[in-house]
Amino acid sequence: MKTINTFLGLVVLGVLHTHAQEVGIKRDSIRNIEKVEITAKAKRKIETDLKMAVSVDEFLASSDNISFIKRGAYAWEPLLNNMAIERSTITIDGMHIFGACTDKMDPVTSYVETNNLSTIEITSGQEGSMHGATVAGSIDMKRKSTPFALDKQWSGVYESGFEFNNKQFFNLGSLSYSGAKFVADGSVSFRNAGNYSDGKNNEVRHSQYNKFNTSMGLAYKIDDLSSVRVDAIYDKAKDVGFPALPMDLWLSRAIITSAAYKRLFEEGLLKVWDTKFYFNAIEHYMDDTKRPENLVHMDMPGWSTTYGLLSQVNLKKGNYSSELQLNMYENVSIAEMTMYPQDREKKTMFAYTWPWVTTRFTGVSMKNAWDASTNSRFNFGGSLGWNYNRSKYIEFNWIFHPGASQQKDRMLPSLFAGYELNIDQFDFSIGGGYGHRAPSVSEGYGYYIYNSFDRYDYIGNPDLKNEVSYEMNAGVGYKTDRAGIGAKVNYFHIENYIVGQILSLGSPMNYQSVGVKGYTSLRYARLFNLALNANYDLLQNLHWKGTLTYARSTDDKGGNLPFIRPLSYQTSLHFMYGRFSAQTSVNGDFSQENYSPEYGEDLTPAYTLWNVSAGYMFSFRGYKAMLQVGAENLFNEYYSTYADWGSIPRMGRNIFTSMKLSF
Amino acid sequence: MKVNLLFLILLFFMFLSCTKSKTDYEAEIDQEVPVYSEFEEAAVLQTESHKISVEALNGTFYKGYNDIRLKVYDKISNEKVKGAVVSFTPIRIGENEQLSSCPHLQEMVYNSGDDFLEGYVVFTERSDDNGKWAFEINLTVDGTISKARQDVIVREQQNKNLNMTSFLGRDEREYIIALIAPQSPKVGENTLVAGIYSQENYEIEQEYGEATFPIYQEAQGYTLRLDPRMPEPSMGNHSSPNNQDLTQKEDGTYEGRVNYTMTGNWTLNFIMLNEQGKVLKGTVVPDDFTPGVEGKKSELHLDVLF
Repeated sequence: MKTINTFLGLVVLGVLHTHAQEVGIKRDSIRNIEKVEITAKAKRKIETDLKMAVSVDEFLASSDNISFIKRGAYAWEPLLNNMAIERSTITIDGMHIFGACTDKMDPVTSYVETNNLSTIEITSGQEGSMHGATVAGSIDMKRKSTPFALDKQWSGVYESGFEFNNKQFFNLGSLSYSGAKFVADGSVSFRNAGNYSDGKNNEVRHSQYNKFNTSMGLAYKIDDLSSVRVDAIYDKAKDVGFPALPMDLWLSRAIITSAAYKRLFEEGLLKVWDTKFYFNAIEHYMDDTKRPENLVHMDMPGWSTTYGLLSQVNLKKGNYSSELQLNMYENVSIAEMTMYPQDREKKTMFAYTWPWVTTRFTGVSMKNAWDASTNSRFNFGGSLGWNYNRSKYIEFNWIFHPGASQQKDRMLPSLFAGYELNIDQFDFSIGGGYGHRAPSVSEGYGYYIYNSFDRYDYIGNPDLKNEVSYEMNAGVGYKTDRAGIGAKVNYFHIENYIVGQILSLGSPMNYQSVGVKGYTSLRYARLFNLALNANYDLLQNLHWKGTLTYARSTDDKGGNLPFIRPLSYQTSLHFMYGRFSAQTSVNGDFSQENYSPEYGEDLTPAYTLWNVSAGYMFSFRGYKAMLQVGAENLFNEYYSTYADWGSIPRMGRNIFTSMKLSF
Repeated sequence: MKVNLLFLILLFFMFLSCTKSKTDYEAEIDQEVPVYSEFEEAAVLQTESHKISVEALNGTFYKGYNDIRLKVYDKISNEKVKGAVVSFTPIRIGENEQLSSCPHLQEMVYNSGDDFLEGYVVFTERSDDNGKWAFEINLTVDGTISKARQDVIVREQQNKNLNMTSFLGRDEREYIIALIAPQSPKVGENTLVAGIYSQENYEIEQEYGEATFPIYQEAQGYTLRLDPRMPEPSMGNHSSPNNQDLTQKEDGTYEGRVNYTMTGNWTLNFIMLNEQGKVLKGTVVPDDFTPGVEGKKSELHLDVLF
């Protein structure tokens, strides 16, 4: 839906533009610009109900579909529909980026910052296949881009805050300039945090982080209907602790760039054509020197470089609209492991954990919406992609899979269809999808990648079959002026589901590990997600909201799959009075009954957290200011969730303060 | 203009990028292990009428297995002689003029394609104060027999991948196992070639002047069970999958398959069995994962490094 909104926004922009051209009266144009701004405001802002200044991870966590594997306080791995990042496409404005860490210490979401994003679009299932093949769906982070204005305008936001538990101090600033011909956006942010303390007030060592992020975007209007835009994000994280892992991060850096050309069309079917070239490079260096318990010193650097092209057109005729997209990218992922012997005089030991793996993808995708009547709509579409992999040093992969193909071509088709119906106060939706995905670099070509969760070394298999997903989803909602209730379910039947299974061959390489697991395909796995939402306006300025989510997943033998969220709930009260607002929420998980010992899980007990916050908004001299103070985990509960790597305890009571200034 | 700006920004970041350089994997292995592929003259033997040039890799004889090539020239015309037959014996002159030999190919084989005689020699020791080496050759050209003898220098083999070991088998015979290939192993699958030589019973002795000494022969129909490990304590007795025991090929050498999972120190643990499947040497290495402890080795093993 959100995608469609954005799309409609673009179309509106296009149409209005056309209009402005024809009439050519300045007053009209001004009105048009105002309307465009309204469209932009309809997007969800990067903040949660509870907290005004959040990290990207905290923001994502507020979505029903997203859960997280946490290895510390930084760079959480987002699970969409309870599926790991291999199964979803995570993009920035449709650009593909791949983390450079074999241990998933750097999901793409760790390379952006809230002040260079405008919103994050989460699309569930095959509907999210616009940017590339997926099973779980897509997470597309939309960068901020200020629209052209008729008068020169400057605007800026400065946010700062302190969180007491881990002494996190952050400063985020962004500045935008917009004119008739030229637009510039810039942002800078710093975050520094120390170790956090758990609910027993014990310090969790190695949980600190330091992040610096800056971004710049420049747009130039060539003529009334076309513009070019260049963007760059630079992100640097240094000295980041991962308490759940046997090593930390010394340094990771990302440079994410793109150059785009956009053209609007006045007449005809074609409304917008948007083309973008992009380049991004990530380097990631782990550090185990601060862990005296480590027997071996290892260097584990990783690099990931991606070039790509993305071109899309929007078509509209009458009550039919369509989006067509061409995606091309090439990624090279390299990860090394150098082990130092105890006697440093002796020769080091070296292996590639990602043996220079090239991935090329070319795909066309299409998404259509047809308003069959004023209260019903069909959504349908699909994609066809070609995925190519090559392992430069295939000899590493041949050790476990003699004769495996060095190059592998895969065709990745995808189809989806849905129907939405609105009858009076009821909304109904039903849909289905079918899609393939190719194994990830680790699943296909990973070599002795140590997983500290189940303590196995993982080996990829280049000849794994495509994972094939069959999916059904449905939703029902009821809305009145004061209340709303809704339910959404989805069900995935995934053939050739890729998981790691114990190999009888070989012996571990990493000294902490207990054995070797190879990525293999299960015959199938099944996954069911349910989310219930309700809201009720108790008073005009007192709102209640509640969410209940449940998921269940089994493999082909009826066994449980790991990292599936148990029954969990969130309920909150929001109160507003004039410039003052207050919020309290309770959230928690029930105990994880359906855990998976096979994958290193144990029973995680239930927990409940209580959070409160209060804010005050005021203006002075043309500035808008917002102050907020609050507490997360107010009762200092000692807990860890089902998806906390190594069951590390989560943060105890955290008092946070923040302020935001904007003009 | 804007594109230029982007380019400048890109350039700026390019300079910053890549803090640690990537490992040049191929170069690193070459650096650790010198690879010799050129045969060069390592010794010259003279008879009255002929000159015999003995070539070895890198123009040097090393302890362990050496492929050798012989070229016979007529001293007068300086041309290569066709149809020469060479019988070749390496001799070690030890302390007190004690004589012995080592595994070698006695009757050199003519390689018509490249027009030279070829054979091999497995030096059991390097040349040092305790002993020196000499070649003795019986040359037959057109039915005329002549002899030549020449001292040669044998150097220590720096490349551990061409290591050798000598031991007494449980059948009370002296054995020598020498690694022949690969000179420079790579991570992944390697074809492992070794020679197994047994000292024949003392009844079969080679005469040399007044002295006699035992000779070595290629062991026939044996099996070398292979179990590669990384002995480094931090590697916890790490092994690799999909290895294959060494069995005899037609040319008499033994061939198997070894997988190296990473570069570094490896131990090839062997168990040697004779034709009847009787264990003549070697012990089973435990499979336990023992981080922090130097890996146990078979009583019959060779250490390699690459």
